[in-house]
Amino acid sequence: MHSDKTSRLRSPLALMAVFAYLFSFMAMPAAQAGMIGTGAALDAEARAERVAEVQRLLSQDRVEAQMVELGVDPAAAKQRVAGLTDAELNTLEQELKNLPAGGDALAVIGVVFLVLLVLEVVGAIDLFNRL
Amino acid sequence: MRCLPALLLAGCVAGPQILSPQQDGVELAATPFFPQERYQCGPAALATVLGASGVSVQPETLVPKVYLPERQGSLQVEMIAATRGYERVPYVLPESLDALLAELRAGRPVLVMQNLGWEFYPRWHYAVVIGYRPAADKLILRSGTTERLLMDTEDFLDDWDKAGRWAMVTLVPGDLPAAEARREYLRAVAGLEAAGKVDTAARGYRAAADRWPDEPGPWLGLGNTRHARGDLDGAVAAFRRALKIDPGLVVARNNLAQALAERGCKTAAERQIERALDEAPPDLAPAVRRTRDEIAAMPGGACSG
Repeated sequence: MHSDKTSRLRSPLALMAVFAYLFSFMAMPAAQAGMIGTGAALDAEARAERVAEVQRLLSQDRVEAQMVELGVDPAAAKQRVAGLTDAELNTLEQELKNLPAGGDALAVIGVVFLVLLVLEVVGAIDLFNRL
Repeated sequence: MRCLPALLLAGCVAGPQILSPQQDGVELAATPFFPQERYQCGPAALATVLGASGVSVQPETLVPKVYLPERQGSLQVEMIAATRGYERVPYVLPESLDALLAELRAGRPVLVMQNLGWEFYPRWHYAVVIGYRPAADKLILRSGTTERLLMDTEDFLDDWDKAGRWAMVTLVPGDLPAAEARREYLRAVAGLEAAGKVDTAARGYRAAADRWPDEPGPWLGLGNTRHARGDLDGAVAAFRRALKIDPGLVVARNNLAQALAERGCKTAAERQIERALDEAPPDLAPAVRRTRDEIAAMPGGACSG
């Protein structure tokens, strides 16, 4: 119920964020060739932190165990995180954070399966061949 | 529908005290007031905080800048852009009440966004928090046509939460936020840099470099603003300073390479750009490759610098 409320709250704000993003480019003067703006450095820094966070979430014992069960090398899976789009990174982070605290094995399988699906999108893991 | 009973109840049940009652209150009584009913108060609220930061502007002047008629309200992005236009730093606060109170204690009124409707049917409103009274657990706002609106902190938080806790102050360039919010502040200054407000951005970076000497971002920013002003030597020195703090800062290395190449030091530039390319994460790699190609096409060889 809580997450349902949150998504309703977020949608108009998300829309505004999209506008902010678009406007930020319109307002920009022709970028000087070769130079990268400070904003891009801050974006890269924020992204690196999110990648590290998702990798940390993937390092949980039960998540790694489930990956091994499905025939996937956890180290290889974690390496692929850096190549995900922001939207994919978002999906993984949400899913992994929603993992129930208790020992609900079925829920873990579901989340790990979804995680591997997202990683499959970038062609890292040939999951379906292994199943 | 199920929100309605909750809403009625909220008026009857006194919640816990939120503001710690032993602290002193604040009221920035000198904050200007622009009573306004139309436009959801966006231009009036922005004129209020700009006025408090020394920019004398009437809400009417801001209407074309921060009011999209078809949206019946001001978007935050327009407020931020308009603030840059007046050479102020649009610093968006971390989403916490403490950060908001800290700004008030520093003498700066805070522009806030509220949702006076529901999450599924929002009614956006902009107001300016000018103080708080801890004993009464109330905030003091300039809001719409009310010069001094006393609002229960709990009620304010309810409306503010529904608006994503968005809050902004317009900093005088060189002033720093009250809370330890270096990332939010650097983002605000980087926005000025991207908008071509180079001198204002440079003052912001300078202040940040003094306050956070272990942070490479301000030096990267100073390098960029110096480069934009044609000061190649100064830019090279600033990028080197950033890299001394964090040798893994790929953007600083990329920009150092570019500035060196422009100074005619192609050999040194090529050494730097190759290292930047080795270390670049996937999202920065294309830009670094472009810089490398650019440098490869430039004349020059070794140099004294």
